[in-house]
Amino acid sequence: MSALETEVLIIGAGVLGAATARELSRYKVDVTVVERNVDVGWGITKANVGVVCQGRDTLEFRPEYHRTRLLWRALPLMEPLCRELDVPFRKVGAYLLIRDQVLKEKLDKLARRTESLGLGSDKYYTYSELKEVEPFISPEIKGGLHDPEIAVVHPVYLTQALVENAVANGVRLMLETEVEGIEAGHTEFRVRTSRGEIRARYVVNAAGEWVDKIAAMVNADDFVLFPIKGYVGVLDRNCSELAKSLLAVLPEEPGDMNIVVPTVEGNLLFGIQLQINRRHDRSTTGHMARKALANARKLIPEISEKDVINSFCGFLMFRNFEIGWHECEVAMSARVPRFLNMTIGYPGVSASPGAALEALEILERDGLKLVPNPKFNPYRKDIPDFSMLSEKERKALIKKDPRYGHVVCRCETVTEGEIVEAVKRGATTLDGVKFRVRPGTGRCQGGFCGPRVTRIIARELGIPETEVTKAGGASRQVPLRTKQLLEEGDGDG
Amino acid sequence: MAPRETVICIGCPLGCRVTVLRDRKGNVAGFKGAECKQGQKYVLEELKNPVRTLTATVRTGDESCPLLPVRTSRPVPKALMKPIMRETARVKAAPPVKAGDVILKNVLKTKADLVATADWPGAGGEG
Amino acid sequence: MAEHIDVAVIGAGPAGLAAAIAARERGAEKVLIIERAEQLGGLLPQCIHNGFGLLYFEQDMTGPEYEKAFIEKARSLGVEALLETMVIDLDAERGITAVSSRHGYMKLKPGAVVLAMGCRERSRGAAGIPGTRPAGVLTAGTCQRFVNIEGYMPGSRYVIVGSGDIGMIMARRLTLEGAKVEAVVEIMPWPGGLIRNEVQCLHDFGIPLLLEHAVTFVHGEERVEGVTVSKVDAERRPVPGSERFFPCDCLLLSVGLIPENELSRKAGVELDPVTGGPVVDQNRQTSVPGIFAGGNVVQVHDLVDWVSWEAEAAGRSAAAYADKGRLKVASGVKVVPGKNIKYVVPQLISGKDDVTLHMRVERPGLKATVKVGDVLWKRYRSVRPSEMVILEVKGDALREAGVKGELVVDCEIRGGD
Repeated sequence: MSALETEVLIIGAGVLGAATARELSRYKVDVTVVERNVDVGWGITKANVGVVCQGRDTLEFRPEYHRTRLLWRALPLMEPLCRELDVPFRKVGAYLLIRDQVLKEKLDKLARRTESLGLGSDKYYTYSELKEVEPFISPEIKGGLHDPEIAVVHPVYLTQALVENAVANGVRLMLETEVEGIEAGHTEFRVRTSRGEIRARYVVNAAGEWVDKIAAMVNADDFVLFPIKGYVGVLDRNCSELAKSLLAVLPEEPGDMNIVVPTVEGNLLFGIQLQINRRHDRSTTGHMARKALANARKLIPEISEKDVINSFCGFLMFRNFEIGWHECEVAMSARVPRFLNMTIGYPGVSASPGAALEALEILERDGLKLVPNPKFNPYRKDIPDFSMLSEKERKALIKKDPRYGHVVCRCETVTEGEIVEAVKRGATTLDGVKFRVRPGTGRCQGGFCGPRVTRIIARELGIPETEVTKAGGASRQVPLRTKQLLEEGDGDG
Repeated sequence: MAPRETVICIGCPLGCRVTVLRDRKGNVAGFKGAECKQGQKYVLEELKNPVRTLTATVRTGDESCPLLPVRTSRPVPKALMKPIMRETARVKAAPPVKAGDVILKNVLKTKADLVATADWPGAGGEG
Repeated sequence: MAEHIDVAVIGAGPAGLAAAIAARERGAEKVLIIERAEQLGGLLPQCIHNGFGLLYFEQDMTGPEYEKAFIEKARSLGVEALLETMVIDLDAERGITAVSSRHGYMKLKPGAVVLAMGCRERSRGAAGIPGTRPAGVLTAGTCQRFVNIEGYMPGSRYVIVGSGDIGMIMARRLTLEGAKVEAVVEIMPWPGGLIRNEVQCLHDFGIPLLLEHAVTFVHGEERVEGVTVSKVDAERRPVPGSERFFPCDCLLLSVGLIPENELSRKAGVELDPVTGGPVVDQNRQTSVPGIFAGGNVVQVHDLVDWVSWEAEAAGRSAAAYADKGRLKVASGVKVVPGKNIKYVVPQLISGKDDVTLHMRVERPGLKATVKVGDVLWKRYRSVRPSEMVILEVKGDALREAGVKGELVVDCEIRGGD
């Protein structure tokens, strides 16, 4: 098999890899993205609460930190980017809350610094003022600082849109392609993957959870990472009234995070707690769930166990202790030329547009020619979201394609038309469809639509239902036919 | 000594746990724990010849409606449920089928027939 | 859809079918059922087991047979149905918005509405089962659809969480289909379903029922590889050190049913936080005039026969409302659950007419007495949360006792559990 040759190989189709690929697609550069998963944005990008446009919190983000520079650079870029790519973006605003009046001093200091840096002016709300805007907030809360710019996006939607747009502008995407080894030559890298060899002049290592392991393959691991695990609970959409803004308690000690965040769809996410954990172990435990719920109830006492419809764990990849939690890595390897490492840790989604720009600058400085691509089209249209359309739009859509009249997922009002379109755009699995158009994300979690979505995917891909997977690999949803086991157990065949 | 035999009566929500007393020859000599006469009768039947109505499906070969539900026309010996299931994997219904139609006569010589419990007009037929 | 509809029924399961038939029989001219699925019957087509109709038809029927009797009757009465049609909105003035591929976007304004959406199963997320998130975790009802209708099996080796009826029925079904069911795990000290299911679905096949146990971890990256099962203490917390590993490739959940009331909420119908269904009066009218409800959307029943009967009452009332544009309110007296009673339906009664009270106890017990205020008491040899207690109360008795305002229902237990 002859090797694929490319100018820039991006390892990882998470939000960083995707943002960098899309930025490169503005230029006449041959770019290939390899992703080990069956879909994009499924690594550490996926398990995320989707907060963006953060960075004014200058206690967390000191001006001297590298990630702060990336964030501040990204701040004005996120909303226009989401507009270009037709990705839902909701400016929800945030309140940083205190439970102890003594801590107001800290908030005042924060507000002063934000203002002096020219980042904006944040207003302090007393409890009674807060209650006017967020009536469900706990009376234990003494007050909070309002940052009106905080927004939410769905990190997977953003990644999908970035990749779709990059591919439309000429980037090559290879899914289920795992990097197995890298050899650094004088002029190019020889990258061994599960789908054959790729030769590339530059490698952009944006492998998320595995970024240090990939770097180690070529001795470019100038840094050590610690995976920090967080737990997220999802509340039923009936509870969307409980918090309109992002609510977070000012941490009283490191790792003491307690937030409630509205999603772009109107569900609430709650309860993040951080702890160092074994890499790749995304399992939840009963202990985490109870602690997160108890935490969330300290913010909003009305939150009930009954309203939790789902939960998951995610990772942040933090740099080594010695350098500090707060440092990130978007830099050419000091030891291996033309090998660019990218890892932000926290907050990766917010910083991704800034990080992508910086990556391009580093590549250009290193000699990559960035000649504008005259055919570059920055726009991408999202899959129509039937549930959000007006009556007139719905009628028109059904008239154009009657499959938009067939509601398959009742909880989220997702139509067959949307599911078919999701498959056309690259979803090949149940999770792929779910993370594009949401069937199975509602309160019944796929109980009704699961069998129907399986059937549509099989039909659209022309494969038997037994081959449809939840998320690729061995995750087949229904691996057997009814009666198959009776025949196998028959003895005489 | 024989192990203690208990049978749970399913006659009513009470769910009596009935202990079976046997004489030296092994014949049932009486019960302990049954609250009513019907319960004793049920337990006796259950000891002598436990039977069940078996419900299952058979294949149709029609991908839009791959299975047809069936039942036994009368209760069959409990021990024959699994062998009858293997029979269901061997038959294929031929359209059109009406609920009540016999799909397999005298299955495993039990005198019970496998009977369709739903209509199946056949592929492309009216649903 | 320009013509006038007297009664629109949302849902074509056993409740919807019974309500539509009753509405026609009570004189409603045009009765329309709106159903999201591809066929009538709701979940009955996938319930291929027997045990249906023992009360209603005095016959032991399977789900498809029970369904067929109602569908044929509905057809013969000229009940109309829209299939693969989803009601996406309902307002307090009975305005229905529905969509389908065939009929497009529809707005209807029937004379009366019957809510018959049934219930949904609690999911893994709602049950909070910890661990990894591989393929092979699904609800018992979804599995039932795959195995009995679609013709697919999600695995060959199962653990089932929750001993609800569907869970136990699936334990038998899967065993008969050649799969291995390692255990049924129940967090409570008593089984969640009917005794006949415990005996015929579990004991018959030697499937262990682990009471006071919980699945405390799901293992496996892509596919379920097994589960950890732990004993729980009196507070339902896992007991450290009691963990056992069960290898399996599939975990089925049968951890409760929740009345499906999203549309009711949109219409502003008052819901009972305990049943999860609308608060209804004895005509099965909800807090919104002209909107009625019956079957599992009101309360989760354990026998389909009672679903049909309850929905018939809703259908009859809807027809009467559609005829006159109003219905005498039958809500003078509030029925209040008292000692060891979880809920009573209907929540509101006239206090003058005969009424059937449906209730569930909180704890099981022997030698129980259910007391309806000073009106009536009845002895039971045994009560269990999984078996609904049903009591007929005569209007004469209510009038004689002069019931006004509230009527408290208690359940005293004299024996043990």
